[in-house]
Amino acid sequence: MTRTFVNTIVVTLFFLLVLSGGDARAAAKGSASKQSCAACHSEFSSLLPKAHPPVTGKDVTACTKCHAPDAKVTAKPKPYSARLHLSHTQPGAEVDCLACHTWKPGKSLGVKGTKANLGVLSKEGMEETKKIFASWSSSRYLDAHHGKKNVTCSGCHEGKVPEQGDSVENARCLACHGDEEKLAKKTEPKDFPDRNPHKSHLGTVNCTVCHSAHKASKTYCLDCHTKFNMKIPFGEGPQAKPAAGAKAK
Amino acid sequence: MEKDGKNKTSGTTGATKEGVVMNRRDLLKTSLGIGAVAAAGAFGLHLTGSKVEAAPLRQLPKKWDEEIDVVIVGSGFAGLAAAAEASAAGAKTVILEKMPTYGGNSIINGGVYASWDDEYHLRQKLNLGNDSVDQHKADTLKGGDFYGFPELVEILAKGATPALNWMIKDGGLKIRQTVTRAGGHSAYRTHTCIEGVGRGYTEAIKKIAEGKGAKVRLGTEVTWIWRKDVNSPVAGVEIKTPKGKKNIKIKKALILASGGFSRDIKMRAAFNPGIVPEFNCTNHPGATGEMLRFAQSIGADSLQLAFIQLYPFAEPETGILDTPAVYPFNGVGYGLVYVSKKGKRFVNELERRDVCSFAQIKLGDKPTYSIFNEEMVTKMGGTKEEVEKGIKKGRFIKAETIAELAGKLKIPADALEDTIKKHNQYIKDGKDPECNKPMTKSMIPLDKGPFYGIAQWPAVHHTMGGLRIDKDARVIDIWGEPIPRLYAAGEVTGGVHGSNRLGSNAIPDCVVFGRIAGANAAKEK
Repeated sequence: MTRTFVNTIVVTLFFLLVLSGGDARAAAKGSASKQSCAACHSEFSSLLPKAHPPVTGKDVTACTKCHAPDAKVTAKPKPYSARLHLSHTQPGAEVDCLACHTWKPGKSLGVKGTKANLGVLSKEGMEETKKIFASWSSSRYLDAHHGKKNVTCSGCHEGKVPEQGDSVENARCLACHGDEEKLAKKTEPKDFPDRNPHKSHLGTVNCTVCHSAHKASKTYCLDCHTKFNMKIPFGEGPQAKPAAGAKAK
Repeated sequence: MEKDGKNKTSGTTGATKEGVVMNRRDLLKTSLGIGAVAAAGAFGLHLTGSKVEAAPLRQLPKKWDEEIDVVIVGSGFAGLAAAAEASAAGAKTVILEKMPTYGGNSIINGGVYASWDDEYHLRQKLNLGNDSVDQHKADTLKGGDFYGFPELVEILAKGATPALNWMIKDGGLKIRQTVTRAGGHSAYRTHTCIEGVGRGYTEAIKKIAEGKGAKVRLGTEVTWIWRKDVNSPVAGVEIKTPKGKKNIKIKKALILASGGFSRDIKMRAAFNPGIVPEFNCTNHPGATGEMLRFAQSIGADSLQLAFIQLYPFAEPETGILDTPAVYPFNGVGYGLVYVSKKGKRFVNELERRDVCSFAQIKLGDKPTYSIFNEEMVTKMGGTKEEVEKGIKKGRFIKAETIAELAGKLKIPADALEDTIKKHNQYIKDGKDPECNKPMTKSMIPLDKGPFYGIAQWPAVHHTMGGLRIDKDARVIDIWGEPIPRLYAAGEVTGGVHGSNRLGSNAIPDCVVFGRIAGANAAKEK
């Protein structure tokens, strides 16, 4: 369960750092050549660690021929990571998904030059996924917070590409955010210890009842206890609260 | 429409918006008409009130997304108990819960349970007098002005004790070692769980149900009941999930355990215009009446929908029934006193909830107060910790003398002192000439502090009316016949509590009839 991508050391870290610069924006403008990395990256050596052997090629297969995508993180050398999305999905600088992915609408989604099967994605699903990626890379919500900490889709949605309506199990959240007791201790109000959203009269509730990744989070307690003064990270309006010190284990 | 024998709402004012729910006569007409049409083709019955009224004929699904033996709507006491029995009998059982959390009103319920006996024989051990199934039955019938059906009330009274012991033995329920006498009851028979809130029971029953393999699906709302025509069994349900609409075929039975409609402001006013929108409500936001309407739309009979209960002692500002708000209910058998802002008693504290509520409304001066002392706390099923927490939140007000308490509550001190002095004398005399309360030996005079006060005011709490069921928890149609494969239990049903439910009869009603519904549903072929 603790297999989140936070712990995955990934070869593409250096891509991320460099690509967040102007190169990607330039790429968005050139439409005909979107399908190739070469439109932005004339060479790869400056993106790679010093010790990395030289790489040639014009698309993602330059990487994947050595680094296989592998959600189980057992591939050697180190697996290819979905973190590469972060710099390539910034609003206004989105790179065409098909620059790296193979996709048969309603059938399969893969990665060029590999046998990876990331799941089934319909046309609508593709549009939704693009929106989610844009949110993940730049929103004010919980998804972007995870993005900044290098947690990708599979950090929460195990395995395949999430479908519309998919949720996240508590165990998946708690894998990084500690056990329930510890979590409850952190949010215990000093004045009224029993007004603790993580130890309420409703017993164990799903994290997702309050915490949404791709939209504003909302304190469920306030639906009934309208006068409580409660704030939630990544909420909206008066519910908003900066996630100060909200560090994963 | 059903007989509305008592206008319980005189004294309240306020206009009500036009109701949206069809009356019985309209329903009857439509049902007959459409029944004939539907029987001729492969159409599903489609009669519903409100928004979907104008919907075109809906065809039964050509294919089902899933098949389940027993589908239960609602994850409160009744739904969980039904699930426990159905799955224990080997049926594949799924509870559909529209809210994102389980338990509905049950998990926030006040945690009191009427039963003439229990595993530990607490009443007998504490020397609190006699009780019996018959006495519980008689109180319940009388408390509901004899609108309740004796054969249903008998099932409740008889089943309450075995159901309580079942939750203790199989579910790990823990109860406080005391029994109280609550309004409308003639015996000390009200039990309280350790948690002091309905969660104690829901967790116990959920443990039994899940242990037998039942599953709870949260965030799953039923949007339709499928029935081909008025001679056919219930075929399935349409559900709305985060992944879209789906249809479930029901192999054995559908059990409605979806609760009451206290949060359905239009619906409650449509049946009882005196329950004006301005009233606060103790319920969770999901307590709306759509399942009742769907059941009506496939021919189910309903009754006594005008009988809507106010909880007399809710938190005055919000209407929430929190832990302190249970004290005024639990304390009366031990001498707790209700007073107005003028420091005067206004009702026999052992009266039923409707009487206590409307006595306050008649005063027209919000709020009123309960006065009790330290000595009563554990006897009435409270704890020192609860009282401490309540004080911190400003719910309980504590003082060393009655005069000091009056000052803190902004009640005239001389009036309150006089009221308490008189009441102490009534306890001694065993007679209450002022309000005619049946005084008991267990009542404690308020002559020793510390004393406590708590503010209270009525809020909409429970809908006594609902679907017509028989002794087997089968739902009865408008022609008096059971609808095949359809059962109901708990607050969604009517005819158990009559015009006024006695406090602490809700959990036994739900658990007892839930168990019956579940066991019978599993027996369907």
